[in-house]
Amino acid sequence: MKENLTNVIHLIPTKLWPGLKGIFCIIVVAMLHFSASAQADTNDKTITGKISSAQGEPMSGVTVRAKNTAKATTTDNNGDFTLVVPENTTLVFSYVGFKTQELSVSGRSAIQVTMAVMENTLNDVVVVGYSSQKKGAITGAVASVNMADLDKRRVPDVAQLLQGQVAGVQVTQSTGAPGDGINITIRGVSSIGSSSDPLFVVDGLPTTSISFINPADIQSMTVLKDAAAASIYGARAAGGVIVIVTKNGRKGKSSIDINYFNGVQQVANLPTMLNATQYMNKMEESWNNSGNTGINPYTTDKGRADLANTDWLNELFVLGKSQNLQLTASGGSDKVQYLISAGYYGQNGIVVYDNDQFKRLSFRTNVNANISDRFTIGTNLQISNSVQDKISSSGDAPGVIRHAFLRPPVLGVYKNVSDPNYNAADPFTDLPFYSQNVAANGGRWNGGANRYEFSSNPIAIANYTNDKRTNFKTFGSVYGEFAFLRNKELKLRTNVGIDLNMNHNKAFNKNYGDNDGYTSNIPADTGQGRQNRPTNLSENRGQDITITWTNTANYTKRIEQHSFSALVGTEFITNQSSVIGATRSRYSNPNGSFQYIDFGGTVIYDDQGKPINTPWNGGAAAEWALFSIFGSVNYNYDNRFFATASLRQDASSQFAANNQHALFPAFSAGWRISKEKFMEEVSWISDLKLRASTGKLGNQSGLNNYNSLAIYNEQGTLLRYGNPDLKWETTNQNNIGIDLSLFKNKISITADYFQKKTSDLLLPLGLPRFVGDVQPTLVNSGTVSNKGFELAIGYRNNDHAFKYSVNANASTVTNNVDKLNANLPNIFGQVSKTEPGQPLNSFYGFKMVGIYQNQAEVDGYLTGAPHPEVKPGDIKFQDLDANGIINDNDRTYLGNPNPRFSYGFNLGANYKSFDLNVLFQGVSGVEKYNDLKKIIDYDTRPFNHTIATLNAWHGEGTSNTVPRSTFNDNGSSRVSSIFVEDASYFRLKNIEIGYSLTNFFGKSKSVFQDLRIYVSAQNLFTVTNYTGLDPEAYNMFDQGTYPQSRAILFGINVKL
Amino acid sequence: MKSIYKILAIVVIMSTAGCKKDLEKTPIGIITEGVAPTKESVIFSARSAYQLLSNSLNIIGEWGWDDGTVLRNDFILQDIASGDMQKKWNPDGDQAWMDQFTDFSFTSSNSGVKGQWSYDYAGIARVNLSISYLADGASSTTLGIDENLRKRMLAEMYFLRAFYYFDLVNLYGDVPLLIKPLANFNEAYSVAVREIKENVYIQINKDLAEAKTLIPGGKFSDAVEKWRVSKGAILALQAKVALYKQQWPLVITIINELEGLNYYSLNANYFDNFSIAKEFTDNEVVFAYDHQSNTSPRSGNGLNALLGWGFIAPTTNFINAFEPNDPRLGYTVTGQDVYKFLGELNGNNKGNDDAASNKIYIRWADILLWKAEALNETGSYPAAIALINKVRERARLTVNATGTYAPAGTLPDRNVASTDKVQIKAWLVQERRVELGFESQRFNDLKRWGIAKTFLTGLGKNFQDKNYFFPIPQGEIDRSGGTITQNTGY
Repeated sequence: MKENLTNVIHLIPTKLWPGLKGIFCIIVVAMLHFSASAQADTNDKTITGKISSAQGEPMSGVTVRAKNTAKATTTDNNGDFTLVVPENTTLVFSYVGFKTQELSVSGRSAIQVTMAVMENTLNDVVVVGYSSQKKGAITGAVASVNMADLDKRRVPDVAQLLQGQVAGVQVTQSTGAPGDGINITIRGVSSIGSSSDPLFVVDGLPTTSISFINPADIQSMTVLKDAAAASIYGARAAGGVIVIVTKNGRKGKSSIDINYFNGVQQVANLPTMLNATQYMNKMEESWNNSGNTGINPYTTDKGRADLANTDWLNELFVLGKSQNLQLTASGGSDKVQYLISAGYYGQNGIVVYDNDQFKRLSFRTNVNANISDRFTIGTNLQISNSVQDKISSSGDAPGVIRHAFLRPPVLGVYKNVSDPNYNAADPFTDLPFYSQNVAANGGRWNGGANRYEFSSNPIAIANYTNDKRTNFKTFGSVYGEFAFLRNKELKLRTNVGIDLNMNHNKAFNKNYGDNDGYTSNIPADTGQGRQNRPTNLSENRGQDITITWTNTANYTKRIEQHSFSALVGTEFITNQSSVIGATRSRYSNPNGSFQYIDFGGTVIYDDQGKPINTPWNGGAAAEWALFSIFGSVNYNYDNRFFATASLRQDASSQFAANNQHALFPAFSAGWRISKEKFMEEVSWISDLKLRASTGKLGNQSGLNNYNSLAIYNEQGTLLRYGNPDLKWETTNQNNIGIDLSLFKNKISITADYFQKKTSDLLLPLGLPRFVGDVQPTLVNSGTVSNKGFELAIGYRNNDHAFKYSVNANASTVTNNVDKLNANLPNIFGQVSKTEPGQPLNSFYGFKMVGIYQNQAEVDGYLTGAPHPEVKPGDIKFQDLDANGIINDNDRTYLGNPNPRFSYGFNLGANYKSFDLNVLFQGVSGVEKYNDLKKIIDYDTRPFNHTIATLNAWHGEGTSNTVPRSTFNDNGSSRVSSIFVEDASYFRLKNIEIGYSLTNFFGKSKSVFQDLRIYVSAQNLFTVTNYTGLDPEAYNMFDQGTYPQSRAILFGINVKL
Repeated sequence: MKSIYKILAIVVIMSTAGCKKDLEKTPIGIITEGVAPTKESVIFSARSAYQLLSNSLNIIGEWGWDDGTVLRNDFILQDIASGDMQKKWNPDGDQAWMDQFTDFSFTSSNSGVKGQWSYDYAGIARVNLSISYLADGASSTTLGIDENLRKRMLAEMYFLRAFYYFDLVNLYGDVPLLIKPLANFNEAYSVAVREIKENVYIQINKDLAEAKTLIPGGKFSDAVEKWRVSKGAILALQAKVALYKQQWPLVITIINELEGLNYYSLNANYFDNFSIAKEFTDNEVVFAYDHQSNTSPRSGNGLNALLGWGFIAPTTNFINAFEPNDPRLGYTVTGQDVYKFLGELNGNNKGNDDAASNKIYIRWADILLWKAEALNETGSYPAAIALINKVRERARLTVNATGTYAPAGTLPDRNVASTDKVQIKAWLVQERRVELGFESQRFNDLKRWGIAKTFLTGLGKNFQDKNYFFPIPQGEIDRSGGTITQNTGY
């Protein structure tokens, strides 16, 4: 035994050893203590009983415990139990979702108990930082999400479940493309140089992403919003913390749950584009308005017989499909409880062809074992594999969505077989078929002279997209927990977790498109199509492993009306990542079976065609570590007065030399007024509690591994000055809140007001340019504040056969930059400016006041400078300094991309066997920069337009909102208010109707316990004034993203 | 209970111990400390100080149009601002900041104003670093740098520093004067103050005088790398500084010295100055940046890429400034080809961001016209007119871009007998415009002659007195926390 142990120890990495030694000490001590305390009681008596629900159904799995002892059992399938207990003891009956009851045995040997459904949720246990607390005792701003309702959301990503559920939590999809990311922001964006994402804690393991989790595996989600709740997570908690606990087995009968759904998705809310005739007329008009002389080529082209009339959007979007299969088995005995699940989710998106798919396969094993009365071990482990076809879902190039809007309708999707460029293997149109003769232009393509412009064929892009992102992930932990002292008041827990990611990205870019006359010194490249020239493969594999080891000691004690608990703990996190990749190009055989590195060309060439190097291979690595000590104390007097204090110290390898330790304290207090004597008369108030908290949180996400250090190039030239004082961003957050329940808990109200001030912002401080060309040094400076009010109201009525509940929440956030830096008074973005006194990233540019109606108006307005380029029909901008010149000084603030008001509205109802669940969700008070509109309707190139341009100014008095059509700049090249749009929306996010059949085949056959069939619809309608594709898309600069689709799903859920 | 405390102590202490060193991670893949200079790095430092004179793309940053750093902005700040050039053949909204030099609506946040400042000062920073290595003869010897090489490179650096500062004072007036590398981050703020331009001129002249004593003789200072600063270039820049300071006799003295070296003369063919084929074998070019194709790192001329994108067109006023049949017009602009930039009499390099055509900074015809100007100012009219006629004669005798010769009577000699100083000055002004068209001399000329306002407002432009200097980039004022001040009127 000793030898074996030594062998094991040798396998443990040396860095873990000192701590493990400590744990071994604990185990040894624990064993001793355990054996000493295991002694038999005398005067025992056998009690039997039956437990049933209010409806008279026997209840299995109810915990029956002799009060203040370890003696406990659970009821069997018939609701019966037998337990040997000391005489005259009190039995405690508990079951999740039901009121815990106590019953004195008082000499009886057989008892009957009826359990009542718990309508007051105050006794719910909520998992918070490193421990759990009763909801009623919580003094911070904590919201736990009702998983029962969320079961009815058929979404692939856990993060989407939170949408519209919690006041102050903003959830947005980056795009609608399958597998693309979801963004969560809690209480507003509070940083410039760092991420404002929350920290996720999954089964005790901190992580930065949750998209790998199978939504069906989740037991509870708790959002820790304020400092009191989150600051025990220290330097990573400023964005709030979301604690997720996965499901576990219960004592009692085993069950198997099968859920399958299958559905279709369809694009929605597309604008109407010009058809071929409208397009040619529009181009003719633009050409005429551009000061051109001679014959209008569009007039000539209009008569052509070979013009197509392609609706590119209709060609691009098809019906998408998704399906989901979920199998869960769970059960357990006194000793062991287990849950095993397997899930598959697959989606083939709404873009034509099958190159926008997402698939995820996941397996979960959660096991708890009670080794003894005092010693529990367990594991929560998930293995998952996800594969995303990464389509160009947003942005400019290649921008499959964007190009579907840009491409002129006169071009067909496929070439005519009589086209000299026709190629059966690549039948897509590319360059306009009546483009100028390349040979006549000296062999060069002249983009500026082209009449139908260089858009790409989006159908071809979709067809040739071949970019797979695979992530194989192992995420989970093992833990051991020991209970000490007579009443198990002290619990030591050690938890070792792993988050292992194996990534594999592979993009094979096959050459296609038309030969644009490009000549190369490399013979193989000449004459190839202009897209992906030459054919190439880029492949990389990465490994990222995070080990988290957490040790906590938790002590709880109750002395009469004083109860308190204390927690101390340490956490050590270490991360190592590495990546290796290679590219090859010029594949002689581009077929699938040759799309591997080995089969690509092994030489690369310089511009003169000389081979100059071996193929490109690359590799890199990074590592970091974080060590923390933390503790907290909760005190509760008579369930009336509550106080909590916590403190965490973080030390990180990413901290700079002069700031190695970060300290995060927090304090909170609560007062349950409803328990006071003077409130006894007020019977309609079931519960009323006031809460207040204050504390500090940190955000170290903007610190990468080395950004406090100076960097030099190999010649010894300084590229960046270092900053040895660099540190995390600090958020001070204050919160006051009230929890109120009315009318026997039928109505529950939670309201919070918070103030969040983030200081020591990480700002890239560019040195004055006169010191030379150096990269900015990161410094801590500046302050951003967020303030807001949050309200959640729930109403539940279970009194009649028609049962229903309504949950509504709303929140406001006011964002303001209080201060930047004396040497960085403002930060310009592409279309925005950040400066003190304004919200972060406010849109900044010129303000449109109308359209110049005639030359006299132009001349009367632009008196300060000659303005030959400005014509009637152009956009008239406000001349803020009234000097008769429109220049940079006339820019002003045009909008705020930070959502000011968000809300969600959940409705749940059931009547007999039918149930209904509805979620509305929306945002009000947010602006976006619609760059897609700019390039479609306002670009100077002959792209297609929406029908909005049919109302363009075409003479005095014809329009004061849409400028003239022209290939010259009509003012639209400026960043202006035309493109800043109100992106408020109200969306029917989800609706599900289900029909349940209980005991489908009767009790005796009992093949199915329950069966539920349902139909679910998502994004059924959206109310918005936003003219872009999706007001919900995350980017404030909207270049046209893969839109969210309307979906209808059918599903069946069977419990065995 | 005591065992509990022991347990707690064990957990805390054991977990804490040993973690300190686990938190110390060695940086992977970056160099975090300066390395001691080597012979190679010192030689490289001198070479790299030239780079900011190039028209290569993205010397600073990557496609930083908003910072004006995609390429050097001389053509915008000189040729567009002077009304000779316009941004594009087909006016559009692309890079609208360039158009603001057409109508003088630029503000202190204009990209061109920012970009030129960045380029010149990035050059100065590299010069200062190089000088800090080269100034110490003993340590250079230790590194194995030949003493003659060290002196020559030092001379080059002094010249380049003078060149960059001369550009800065002309464009911006008073500017921060940095002559050594910063010791640390915070020093950036202690040096953030504008030095009056007289003091900057003192430094320029000091650097040039120093350079002159250190540079070896000969037309080229290096037999292989002919692009390096030469004795002729140093004298020429001294003359140009004197010219801008209106020290007329000094201009004549320096140019006489330069003529005495017999390194330079007018090329028989005007285009030889710009021809890729004639680089460093022609007679006239005194200082140029040597662009080359297909080098690593790249050192090609990126201005030609802009030509391919439809940028750079002449204004009608500029084309009209040429006398009938002047062959120089065709070499400056034919169709949409600017042969002076392309380096060949065809459009093959149009759109090529890695072209071999050099950027000419100083050439003999320019110098002759400086001398002519100084002679005119000092009353030596016949000599002045003779020089103007020499430049005209070369032009008229040059075969034009289409291969034919100009008809008789083209570009006739100016009247040598004239003693009308104003008339001669007008001839000079005219000659410089067409001889040096698109060579980024014009706006400085208009300003130093004091005719910028008259001429440009005559073209209908909104030139105001404040425009004699460009605004200090707003970013510099911001980044210095306001210790850098703005020019009057902006």
